[in-house]
Amino acid sequence: MSVTDCEHEEAGWGVFEGLPGDPMMWVLVLSELVAFGLFLGAFIVTRAVRADVFASGQTALDVTLAGYNTIVLVASGWAAAKGAASARTGEYRFARRWLAFAMALGGAFVIIKLVEYAHEISGGIGLETSVFFTLYFLLTGFHLLHVCLGIVILAVVCRSADPIHVETGTVFWHMVDLVWIVMFPIIYLVR
Amino acid sequence: MRYALGRLDLTLLALLGLTLATMAVAGATRAPVLVDGIVLAIAAIKGRRILLDYLDLRSAPALWRGLATAWLMLIVGFAWAASAVSVLLPAP
Repeated sequence: MSVTDCEHEEAGWGVFEGLPGDPMMWVLVLSELVAFGLFLGAFIVTRAVRADVFASGQTALDVTLAGYNTIVLVASGWAAAKGAASARTGEYRFARRWLAFAMALGGAFVIIKLVEYAHEISGGIGLETSVFFTLYFLLTGFHLLHVCLGIVILAVVCRSADPIHVETGTVFWHMVDLVWIVMFPIIYLVR
Repeated sequence: MRYALGRLDLTLLALLGLTLATMAVAGATRAPVLVDGIVLAIAAIKGRRILLDYLDLRSAPALWRGLATAWLMLIVGFAWAASAVSVLLPAP
């Protein structure tokens, strides 16, 4: 391999070419999707084995609050995508406003989720109540941490509103959105 | 001044409508296998819209669209299959 070949390889991102944002964010997103996929798979298998425990646990969950959170998160994803579109066309002021709106909706998601946790904990439910609640708190808690991290990432990229940075930040945010879209029916609705 | 709805706006409306449809369907008590199937199919449609329009994979290489869609279908399909098995073949 010649020096020219090496330089050419370093300049491109191979299979990551053509994806929005920084390719390294896609490496992170892929690993996160694998982790969430395994976690959800464990939840599904455990439900199949302990159907009675999961059925009674599910009745204690607040489906309405989780539904509100789904609406809040898809609206937040829309605002983030509008922010990325504005940044791409050089409308940096609009991009910052859209991203700020997306972060505010992300904050609303966190508050609603904490209210939901507070109701459950005040009702005597905890991590060790049953295997259903152990997996429920771990899965939704892990996702909630990602929502908080996503808000921080959006806040960082919002400062410069540079198109590539905004695209990179919103890729993470949409991954968080996608995971919730799958997690919501599996945890709250499917029997 | 009129505001023309773009693809992102239409995607948001579709996602909101599908979320409300999910909540309405999930309340049904009959035919749990069918209801679970509908709820999970709606989740797959919503996830696909997020991948194509929010994540903008519509213009990305087909490999990535395929990988992300495969992740989505694998989880949703597995959830439905496990739910169907536990309803149709209840534990003794």
